[in-house]
Amino acid sequence: MTAIIELRNVTKEFHGVPALRDVNFTLMPGEVHALLGENGAGKSTLTKIIAGVHSPTRGEVRFNGDKLSFSNPVDALRHGIAMVFQETSLVPSLTVAQNLYLGKERFFNRLRGIYIAAQQFLQSLNFNVDPTKYISQLGAAQKQMVEIARAVHHQARVIIFDEPTATLTPEEKHHFFGLVERLKSDGVSIVFISHALEEALAISDRITILRDGQHVITDKASAFNRDSIISHMVGRTLTEDLYQQKGRCARPYGPQVLSVENLSMGRMVRNTSFSVYGGQVTGIFGLIGSGRTETAKIIGGVVKRDFFHGGEIKLEGRSVRYRTPRPAVKDGIVYVTEDRKLEGFFETQSIAENIYTGSLGAGLNRTPIVSYAEMMELSAQWTQRLNIRAIDGSAKVIELSGGNQQKVVLAKALVQKPKLVILDEPTRGVDVGAIAEIHAVINELADSGIAVVVISSYLPEIMNLADRVLVARQGRVVEEFDIEEASEEKIMYAAVH
Amino acid sequence: MMVTFKPWLDRLLGRGRSALTVPPMDGALKPNNRLEEAPAGIHAAEPRSLALQNGRVVWAEGCKIMSAEEEVASLSHPITALAVSPQGRMALALDGRGITLEGDELPALQGATCVTAMAFEGETTLWVAVGSTVHPLGDWSRDFLEMRRSGQVLRYDIANRTLTVAAERLGFPYGLLPTPQGLVISESWTRQLVRLDGTGRLTLLKDNLPGYPAGLAPASGGGAWMALFAPCNPLLELVLRESEYRHAMMAEVEPEFWIAPALRSGYSFREPMQGGALKQMGILKPWAPTRSYGLVVQLSPEFIPLQSLHSRAGGKRHGITAVLEHDAQLWAASTGGNEVLRLNVREGNHQ
Repeated sequence: MTAIIELRNVTKEFHGVPALRDVNFTLMPGEVHALLGENGAGKSTLTKIIAGVHSPTRGEVRFNGDKLSFSNPVDALRHGIAMVFQETSLVPSLTVAQNLYLGKERFFNRLRGIYIAAQQFLQSLNFNVDPTKYISQLGAAQKQMVEIARAVHHQARVIIFDEPTATLTPEEKHHFFGLVERLKSDGVSIVFISHALEEALAISDRITILRDGQHVITDKASAFNRDSIISHMVGRTLTEDLYQQKGRCARPYGPQVLSVENLSMGRMVRNTSFSVYGGQVTGIFGLIGSGRTETAKIIGGVVKRDFFHGGEIKLEGRSVRYRTPRPAVKDGIVYVTEDRKLEGFFETQSIAENIYTGSLGAGLNRTPIVSYAEMMELSAQWTQRLNIRAIDGSAKVIELSGGNQQKVVLAKALVQKPKLVILDEPTRGVDVGAIAEIHAVINELADSGIAVVVISSYLPEIMNLADRVLVARQGRVVEEFDIEEASEEKIMYAAVH
Repeated sequence: MMVTFKPWLDRLLGRGRSALTVPPMDGALKPNNRLEEAPAGIHAAEPRSLALQNGRVVWAEGCKIMSAEEEVASLSHPITALAVSPQGRMALALDGRGITLEGDELPALQGATCVTAMAFEGETTLWVAVGSTVHPLGDWSRDFLEMRRSGQVLRYDIANRTLTVAAERLGFPYGLLPTPQGLVISESWTRQLVRLDGTGRLTLLKDNLPGYPAGLAPASGGGAWMALFAPCNPLLELVLRESEYRHAMMAEVEPEFWIAPALRSGYSFREPMQGGALKQMGILKPWAPTRSYGLVVQLSPEFIPLQSLHSRAGGKRHGITAVLEHDAQLWAASTGGNEVLRLNVREGNHQ
């Protein structure tokens, strides 16, 4: 059988620095092929070459056995190659239906007809998204669904999914895997990039692992297990370091730092109450729509609670009500967003500028004049502490890998000397090596007496990090588990029922 | 200007005191059934005030002093509080009569009413908590609904027979614990613990408790045990905000059916909001907030909760007013449940 896509000895260099070196890759018709590796391993570069975003510096790309080079993504799409980007490429000012039909417009478009067709199409995929809604009104998970739907809608023969499940709930993931199976039976080839190794093992036929821009191994999925994948990815096994919840003792309760009492915000947060203690990691688990992010944002002053009877938030016994994040930051509360690209950093600014902005926000700058030397010193200090891999502090954040971007966001928050840190999905879209480093930072924070809240959809992460687990459902905290009594089944049961 | 209008604005917007919120019971205070599941205790009619005398635990039960084995003494008046000095001298607070030490009346404390707790500091000082200087102990719920702050802590110098008011305008002091840093006082109506130091200054140790604190006792590993006799709930907060309603209720309704904290509940369909409850997965889930509860909390030397023992809405061992740790056992007086409980003290999950 001829491979639908074949890359032979492909090398890609950016400004003379190789991102891919002599990589060989084949994708067979009707195959699900997982592409794994740490951030910066070259996965995105490889898929972007397939999708026509980049051209290879050396080597050749073959499509159905013919040597071919796509000049741009539209050219690739015309040949039936679609890519679902990690950074959503939807137009925020258009509706879901308009985005689905973008590039396939007719001379006369009947909007109602488009909405009906889009509704039927989304329903056929089991995606619960309103086609008349603007993209800007959707959450991260729903945007991802539209992105996936658009690729399927283009009837592509090759679909590249870059971290498609990172923002999906378990139920939505289940639908997504069903969709992948359906596409596969229709003869569609799928390249699947994910940091969730269990997913890759579960749905893929073959797995290719890249490390530092080089091909490490390609084999049948059944030939791998979690440990062997990680050891190929990073050269050592990290499973025990990352998810070793068994036998772990919780840290003792410190003083009550935060008390949330009957907090309400519209339909998203409904009369929720919980406490957060110093010197502990409080994990909050909940499905999308459970109100956990909204609760965290109210605490951090990012959004406002109900004007009438919105409940109380007490920071160290003092009632607080923030309308903007700045006073919250000054009081020692920092919220680290789940959507780092949109809310976490200034992408056109350097690492040093981003970190320094955090210190300015907390009012920690010594003089009103920005000192370049001070900024670079601060950057060097945090770059070293969090092991941010960049040439120096003047490197642009947008040029960094996901894991290093997340570390910059963390540095920007931690430079504010907080009493309470709320980390919303701290390791989303981050490779295993960086996850271990971020986990170590979180544990260090808790050990130093800071109250840490970790919101995560990934249960092993919650089980590994948290000293106590709060479960959110339908806008309120419905259950609390000590880590000794918690199990993934119990937590998930509480989150769903 | 804003200070003048703030209470009015808070009332309008449901903020501040008018937010009607209650502190969450989570973390070390996470509900469990340890108190309810404890082995059967000793039946006692409304036991109060536990103390250790000659190696045995004694408590007040109406006009009697009882121990696990026998009736220790019987007196003419109901006993509201008792304390035993390190050398075994017993002080008794007799309702409507005053305080006696080793059977002798203390003239300076003659006629003292509403004595909720007493504690010896060595052999020379007797601390006395007077819950209210306005109402007798039996009328404590009226004191609560009138939002009085008329409690006092008195210091009686045994050698010199002098009495001084160490602290006043307290919200129903119900527990006393002498420590090297000062006297720790639990104030029920303000739901807080304060420390009275040698200079007479009160320092806040812990506030925003999720219930109304009562007796305090030292814990073996340092720190303290604290009993909370009833839970705080939004309905009570609402009633406290509505003055006219409260006064009408007190004038027209029998005291046992007032919307107020209670030592026991569920004994009459006429009790406020007690009819509404449902059972879900075998657990009683009251849709109306429960009036009574059983709660004992272990506090660290820094007064951070370490572990807690609960008797929840469907339980019987409610209204815990006194605790005492002795010989690796925790004794708790369930005034609402008519029982003195003995529990094996095991370390909490987070020690």
